[in-house]
Amino acid sequence: MSARKAEPVGRMNETAWCPGCGNHAILKTLDAAVAEAGLDRRKLMLVSGIGQAAKLPHYTDANVFNGLHGRALPAATGIKLANHELEVIITSGDGDMYGEGGNHFLHAIRRNIGVKCFVHDNQVYGLTKGQASPTSELGFVTKIQTHGVVSVPVSPLALAIVENATFVARSSAVVPEHLQKMMVAAIRHKGFALLDILQPCVTFNKVNTWQWYKQRVKELPAGYDPANRALALETALKWGEEIPIGIIYRAERKTFEEQQPALAKGPLALTYGK
Amino acid sequence: MDTNIRICGEAGQGVQTTGDLLTHALAAAGLHVCATQGYMSRIRGGVNSFDVRIGDAEVLGARVPAELLVVFTREALDNCRSSVAEGGLVLFDGQADDGVIALEMAKAAAAAGGSALMANAVAAGAVYALLGLDLGSLRAALSKQFAKKDESVARTNIACAEKGAELVAARRGAVKCPKPGQPFGAVVSGSETVGLAAAVAGVKVVSSYPMTPSTGVFTWLAGAADRYGIVVEQAEDEIAAINMVCGATYAGVPAMTTTSGGGFALMAEGLSLAGMCELPAVILLSQRPAPATGLPTRTGQEDLLFAAHAGHGEFPRAIFAPGSLAQAYDLTRRAFETAHRWQTPAMILIDQFLADLQRNVAPMDETLRPIDRGLLDVPPADYRRYAVTKNGVSPRAIPGAGPFVITDSDEHTADGHLTEDLAVRVEQQDKRLRKCKGMLAEFLLPEFYPAPAAEVLACWGSTWGPCREAVDLLRAAGRDVCMLHFGQVWPIDGRRVKPMVAGRKVTMVEGNATAQLGSVLKGAGALGRFKAILRYDGLPFTGPEIAERAAGRVKS
Repeated sequence: MSARKAEPVGRMNETAWCPGCGNHAILKTLDAAVAEAGLDRRKLMLVSGIGQAAKLPHYTDANVFNGLHGRALPAATGIKLANHELEVIITSGDGDMYGEGGNHFLHAIRRNIGVKCFVHDNQVYGLTKGQASPTSELGFVTKIQTHGVVSVPVSPLALAIVENATFVARSSAVVPEHLQKMMVAAIRHKGFALLDILQPCVTFNKVNTWQWYKQRVKELPAGYDPANRALALETALKWGEEIPIGIIYRAERKTFEEQQPALAKGPLALTYGK
Repeated sequence: MDTNIRICGEAGQGVQTTGDLLTHALAAAGLHVCATQGYMSRIRGGVNSFDVRIGDAEVLGARVPAELLVVFTREALDNCRSSVAEGGLVLFDGQADDGVIALEMAKAAAAAGGSALMANAVAAGAVYALLGLDLGSLRAALSKQFAKKDESVARTNIACAEKGAELVAARRGAVKCPKPGQPFGAVVSGSETVGLAAAVAGVKVVSSYPMTPSTGVFTWLAGAADRYGIVVEQAEDEIAAINMVCGATYAGVPAMTTTSGGGFALMAEGLSLAGMCELPAVILLSQRPAPATGLPTRTGQEDLLFAAHAGHGEFPRAIFAPGSLAQAYDLTRRAFETAHRWQTPAMILIDQFLADLQRNVAPMDETLRPIDRGLLDVPPADYRRYAVTKNGVSPRAIPGAGPFVITDSDEHTADGHLTEDLAVRVEQQDKRLRKCKGMLAEFLLPEFYPAPAAEVLACWGSTWGPCREAVDLLRAAGRDVCMLHFGQVWPIDGRRVKPMVAGRKVTMVEGNATAQLGSVLKGAGALGRFKAILRYDGLPFTGPEIAERAAGRVKS
């Protein structure tokens, strides 16, 4: 114990994820994206809620705030306001972000707070063992939704575009190279970035499998204009035999932190008492 | 000697404007002023009241009889007439009647060249004349109020005030007025005081969702944000508000949220997060009657037990309940200091009565004096956020400067990583709860007024003023009675409180139906049997009421 204590704190050695889970690929890709973007790990701030995806911050080298279910966004907002020099990235699941945290999702987008929101979207609840998530498809049968899901799934990307999000992208754990590109682009974006990451759940989602996603995800065509909001909305709503991936919408707007006079002299946490 | 002036009318008619004007002007005239408000939960209509009680010595609360009632509507007249003191007068924007002086305020304002809005200045001028006061301080208050507008605005308002005085000149001095002394201090409200103390203590992030009666503090901080370098954000809900506070404190700045009972209920999970992650979150909880929406704009002291027990699981917390404005200033700072020293949440409990209470008091220090955050200067390379220590407080570092700062709402190792190692669980829970001992040692002892006596009226928070007045009244009548006021209501060091009350006849005086502090004191082993004077109709205690009930003339 004492020998171990002399070492700096780093990542946990073992994950709590099933073999074959999409989270493994997302973690590996995140590490690669952080390296590619040249981020200083000491300033890397990973924030999450609760769920299997929300455990990711423990499995890499970063500062970690693993808070409450659904509350990653407000916690990340508070952190960014206290120290806007931190690179704040959220890694959480679809239930965390679009279900329990839905209200925060709407309002973080309005603020355009400079946090990057990576949503592991596997269309099912994993940690609580297989109930429907807000993105589960109609008819998806679970032990709770015994006759199949009857509520229509949310369209997070369309929602974000309607809400005037400034960076809206989709990728998938099944295409790691593309995912890495999207992560780097999101990190480099100034303001709020939503990256919805389609991800298989090998244990509880027998419909949206590795194969299922692989057959459907399709990169946006060359010449696609992410500044075209109407086109972006149309693209974001595409779902079915073909699922578009890439930067679907991008716009420029002042960030929340840029508009706070109190932050003009530098991060509050670092200028405190000076 | 003191005189009570009550202004009543519909919301939107200028009850508050007139009241505020008189409060500031009469304070500038050299009187001790205590202003209290009662209003209905609506933007317009209903019957709102604003009491300005003036004295030649400190005035600490409200009382029911009013020597002068100013009413803007017939409904307000019917509603409030019974509260006019014997021999008192009514100033009514309507028909004259026995004891009622008619004053058509809008018409008078027009005659003085003003608009209908300036009826408030007419009313204030008339009040001054009835009190037999020189208009100088009223003119000065109007000039100050409109200093930022065109000079003609103040001039017209002053003309309106003069017109009001002129129209009741025949009754000049008809209402007895305490003798003014040297003007002193500044008029401040409870909300303003808490806001100022938080800003001075170095709060840097404030995120709240508006909820009466906590909005005053939130609003004051928003107005002071640029001056003190604070980010003030209106969160989408109270859950967001407390989680933003948790995030901001983790990242290294003092942060606070302001709320009332229903909003605080939504914060319970976030409060528990602050307990688990050992974050110095500060919550201003301004109480109103409940359950549920209750009486949104009225006052009460019903959330002590809720504040003490909110949040799942067991974790340390401190709760302060200021009585006076000076104490509101001191204890707000103390809440921030305690939260940071022990790395755990602290709360400030006020209520509508104290939030809206205005008095002229000694000026408060507005200089920024940031509290010590208790951070390591240079965290070691092998830094561990939740290192096990003797007093339960782990050395604190913030992210970005060096070693990783890892925190988790799950049970965690000293590293901060989640764990299901049950031995570690016990070790960490013991560590967190060890802070209770140190916090208890810092317990703010309750204070006697004026000195220990055979009978004790024990109270907490805003009941301080009315209770103190009651003690003065009872002692003047020969009773051997004192007040024992608790400025800290959690945790209570029963071992130190017990000898203070032992052998005395204790009556709890609380703004709730179940004597919540009484049960806390019992639980802490400080108190055995006690009597209680309780009030939970949404209105604040008054000194005479407590005195009367304590004297046994009215059943409690």
